[in-house]
Amino acid sequence: MWSKRVQYLNENYPRISKNDRIFLNNPVMMSGLGLAPLVVTANSGYNAVVLSVAVLLILTPTRVLGSFVSRVVKFRALAYCFSAAVIYMGAYLLLRDWFDVRVVSMGIYLPLLVVEPIVIKRYERNTPEKWTTALRKGILTTAGYALVIMIIGLLREFLATGMLFEEPIMKAPLLPMASLASGGFVAVALLCALWRAMVNMTKKWINMEAKKYQ
Amino acid sequence: MTLLLESLSSFFLYAIVAVFAQNAVFSRALGVSRLVKLVDDVSVSSIIFCGCLCTIQLISAPFAFLFNRYLLSALSWRAVIRPVVMLVCASIALGIVVVVLGVSKVSWASKVLPVLPMATFNCAILGCLFLTTAQNFTFAQTMGFSLGSGLGYTLAVMIVTEGQRKIRQRAVPNTFQGLPVTLLYIAVLALAIYGFTGHMAAI
Repeated sequence: MWSKRVQYLNENYPRISKNDRIFLNNPVMMSGLGLAPLVVTANSGYNAVVLSVAVLLILTPTRVLGSFVSRVVKFRALAYCFSAAVIYMGAYLLLRDWFDVRVVSMGIYLPLLVVEPIVIKRYERNTPEKWTTALRKGILTTAGYALVIMIIGLLREFLATGMLFEEPIMKAPLLPMASLASGGFVAVALLCALWRAMVNMTKKWINMEAKKYQ
Repeated sequence: MTLLLESLSSFFLYAIVAVFAQNAVFSRALGVSRLVKLVDDVSVSSIIFCGCLCTIQLISAPFAFLFNRYLLSALSWRAVIRPVVMLVCASIALGIVVVVLGVSKVSWASKVLPVLPMATFNCAILGCLFLTTAQNFTFAQTMGFSLGSGLGYTLAVMIVTEGQRKIRQRAVPNTFQGLPVTLLYIAVLALAIYGFTGHMAAI
């Protein structure tokens, strides 16, 4: 059973890796998408939650709506961007209702999600997307992005203030610059290197296990 | 005369601030996803992309200024429709550039047209429009900041491209090659920006 599973993984690794938006082909860690809000605003646990919920409300609906609109509107960049902007209207009202002033503290980075490549990048492809594919890929991409946002947000809050969700963990902060944009770049770079190393190790491990059973 | 001189001085001051102290990439991470793709992508010319970005930025800025002054500032729910309005401004700029390219029939139009959507709908353009309208800049300040923002992005692309070239010649560990080392390089440059702005969040 185990040997069959490992051999299946080894033989289908490129396809499985391509479709896995959470770990093996995470859009942020492997392709560098969605960096602007991550680097600047994901500097605390609560900010990360607000950003993750915003992504949850905007990304998948935009992708699905964009797949319908792009069948009518020939210029797909417009179709995806305006779909995102229309969905942002509803998302913003919900976020204001749920998180109140924390939404204001996100500054320009919340409305910037309407042109963030992780949300609208699909327009660069030549063929329109089926709505079912858009829904599935949208959900997976959202999960992968939200996971990275939460990791980076909690890591930066811990390093910058010694707290997690505003609860003190350490007496003194370890690295106050982690809350700034440059600290965000460093945190994302280090997580990216670690993530890629883990992906490579997973690939090698599957390959070696498959060879054992051949 | 005094008004003209004041406008000119604020235009140049805001342009210089946007290029260096408030650089779109290093201080606000605007358009950084596109930048890290651009420096690795041989199919898209950085010069054409940055030229398009600066042009769209400059053309869309006055429309954003007018829409903000005569439409958004009168509305209590402007935060809800601001992205749509700014996208309209960017789209008008894109339309103007496409029409001018079509009418002039220049030989390099075929190279520019595929890059235009990427250069129009990105965080660097919309981020600048959001900043200039949310902070109610005057017309001279808006135009200066927009020009400086575009030039600042171009400067960032050039610096990171040159950095990439030099990094490739060094023995970088496997796991840090590509995106991680590029982000670390940008982080070091962002730290240098704090020399101008001090320690504060860029939101």
